[in-house]
Amino acid sequence: MQDSAHILQEQVRQAATEQTPLSICGGRSKKFYGRPVDHERLQTSAHTGITEYSPTELVITARAGTPLQDIESTLANNGQMLACEPPDFDGKSTFGGMLAAGLSGPSRPFRAAVQDTVLGCTILNGKGEILRFGGKVMKNVAGYDVSRLMVGALGCLGVILEATVKVIPVPAAEMTVAFAISRSKSVALVNNLRSQGMPVTASVHDGQTLRVRFSAGRREIDSMEDQLEKHYSFVEWQRQDDNSYWPPLRHHELKGFDAEKDTWRLSTAPTADVSELATPDQPWITEWGGALHWLQTNATPEQVFDCLASQGGHATRFRRPDSQAQESIFQPLSPLHMTWHKQLKQAFDPENILNPGRMYAEF
Amino acid sequence: MAEPVSLETLLPQLQGILEAQYILSTREQLKPFECDGLSVYRELPLVAVLPGTSEEVQAIIRLCHDQHIPLVTRGAGTGLSAGAKPHPQGVLLVLTRMNRILEIDTASLTAKVQPGVRNLAISEAAVAHGLFYAPDPSSQIACSIGGNIAENAGGVHCLKYGLTVHNIISLEGFTAAGEAITVGSAGLDSAGFNLQSLVIGSEGMLMVVTGITVKLLPVPQQTEVLLAAFDAIETAGQAVSNIIAAGIIPGGLEMMDNNAIRAAEDYAHAGYPRDAAAILLIEIDGSSINVEEQLQVTRQVLKQSGVTSLKVAADDAERALMWKGRKSAFPAVGRLSPDYYCMDGTIPRSKLAEVLNYIDSLSKEYGFPVANVFHAGDGNLHPLILFDANIPGQLEQVETMGGRILEKCITVGGTITGEHGVGLEKIRQMPLQFNDQEIEQFHRVKTALDPENVLNPGKNIPLLKHCQEYRALAADLVPNRLLSQAEPG
Repeated sequence: MQDSAHILQEQVRQAATEQTPLSICGGRSKKFYGRPVDHERLQTSAHTGITEYSPTELVITARAGTPLQDIESTLANNGQMLACEPPDFDGKSTFGGMLAAGLSGPSRPFRAAVQDTVLGCTILNGKGEILRFGGKVMKNVAGYDVSRLMVGALGCLGVILEATVKVIPVPAAEMTVAFAISRSKSVALVNNLRSQGMPVTASVHDGQTLRVRFSAGRREIDSMEDQLEKHYSFVEWQRQDDNSYWPPLRHHELKGFDAEKDTWRLSTAPTADVSELATPDQPWITEWGGALHWLQTNATPEQVFDCLASQGGHATRFRRPDSQAQESIFQPLSPLHMTWHKQLKQAFDPENILNPGRMYAEF
Repeated sequence: MAEPVSLETLLPQLQGILEAQYILSTREQLKPFECDGLSVYRELPLVAVLPGTSEEVQAIIRLCHDQHIPLVTRGAGTGLSAGAKPHPQGVLLVLTRMNRILEIDTASLTAKVQPGVRNLAISEAAVAHGLFYAPDPSSQIACSIGGNIAENAGGVHCLKYGLTVHNIISLEGFTAAGEAITVGSAGLDSAGFNLQSLVIGSEGMLMVVTGITVKLLPVPQQTEVLLAAFDAIETAGQAVSNIIAAGIIPGGLEMMDNNAIRAAEDYAHAGYPRDAAAILLIEIDGSSINVEEQLQVTRQVLKQSGVTSLKVAADDAERALMWKGRKSAFPAVGRLSPDYYCMDGTIPRSKLAEVLNYIDSLSKEYGFPVANVFHAGDGNLHPLILFDANIPGQLEQVETMGGRILEKCITVGGTITGEHGVGLEKIRQMPLQFNDQEIEQFHRVKTALDPENVLNPGKNIPLLKHCQEYRALAADLVPNRLLSQAEPG
């Protein structure tokens, strides 16, 4: 537990004065993600500690460098968890990294995204000012919602120093069921399960099988097989022996997340058809009730971006063999969106010193 | 800002954009639009326009942008912070005619709606498909979804289902310069910055929204409501913490104090115990088995927490009646007194008793009765201060008292506004929650997206010189920590 805010502030101030760009680093677990940049490092990993946690308030406040594992174990000791199930790559992810990357896990459509859980944060802007936005309470609409803007901004708008997030109780029981159903029909099945009041908290289709996780009270989970027998005789299903499938999915340890080929992350409407991008015998994993695909493809980046743009979604070249590749990482922004991004960047980081180029080459 | 535009110059230009009947410019026509739900703040706009299409909206924004005319967007006018108060030299853009539900997509569990659609109308249309739109501010029969976006509206089910920001997929509309823009995507996140969260709750100051895709949820299989009475506020507050500590996340969790209970009971005959110091309304929803399981645990927790009486609604009618009492609490309290002033602070739940005791002491000091309704699940407190605006000086006294309540909210770690927004009403208290550098950062965000300051100018974010004046006035009332101009170091 260590408060390094003012050391970090001094470094940012100095960098602003000297116009030296900085790479913001926590646990370096996501260095493969986004555009590679090689600036002077601003290391947040010494800024650590859970500064406030009151289980009955359902909120936790921690400094950015706090290892995600520390937060999760503290919560688990109190029967609570992060609703967004963020990936913890190599066990090295930090709380600040979770927020800056904004990557949500398998439960995202059913529980919450990273940004949904954020109630407030303290940041360093590019001028080296320590600023607090939001708060520690569930509802707060004073001023613009800068805290949620920071989530997923990859540090380009500010160095997250500390944040408060909402947490949820760990469900009393869970079970996993595998359904023999095609990918295209699985969207409707997941919707149907939810509309029957079944407590779906994750879904994934790997090309062969749809797996669904149910999380609820003990009695409800114990009754699930009876309910499935009653209402879902039209599809072949089987209860899995345990729930061990989900952690490797969450932490991207399954086949299909490796960097031997380009691994694309496609965010779409659940009903969007991205099958034109699929390459036979290449991994294609569909999560989030159909709203998120991970796939390896022979299609060119331009083809992937065009396909997603036409569907109103967006693509990210998430992992790639050439880790130094600079281009075609994130979905190209429209000229107007690029203008908004550059103007917001200028508003928070006028000297352009915080992770410049990490997201797009233009800022 | 350039010279104010004259009506004579503006009218012919507007008539080139939309039919004359949708352009209001006489005093009689404009009077209904002089205020939103906070009627102590009134102003007539130069002109009000009621466009029916996005194209008309775009042309109006361009006109205002090109001629530096302030543009205030208004939905149903139910806002409670004067966020939609017209600008005297400006155009009031009223979006109530854009009130169509364009699509309910049962495969994606979304609905596409126009901004003037009433909040409740979405759920009414979706229920045929077994779906509903979760955020439900108490004004939901009248308030528009566009206004909900502007204020990031909450409601009584936020603890479980979140605020407006948690239930929106994407927004279409126009920048301050009138360029078409979409924020969010068809998926659950979008490329680049999280612009959608920035726009939601920005009080119409960063863009004008003309199309909204909302998230729909399956209607819970079963819903039960418990009415629990307590002989002390503290005991009721502790019971709330105990329920959450038991791992229960109720769909709704509301508290009312004795003044609010009596007012609501006299008005709605909801079956509330008039002698209770506090009641909790606890709604548990989900699958039948889960609801029964949670109901059992909740009853047990309440008994251990010192509940004096406990009733579960027997049927849908009684459940609706129990909620009617709560949702009509504001008008019910309104019957007790010529005027009431509704506050909107949020506090950590654990500080509830401390804050209510403080409000009670202010009530005695100023001589104004206070009724308290409280979204206990999420810590959002609505003290209703009863007064008579016709008695000279009372409004000013009530505003001072209200300001002190908000200051207390801040000192216990809360916020000056949970769901009603800053608007004009709470702009003076902004410097309590934010220092000059933070306020300045807000201004830079505004300037980044609306450099000409066309959209709803003067709301939400105070000018720095006003912050300094306010701090000088408030210096005796609040701890120095809150008034620091900047962080040390």
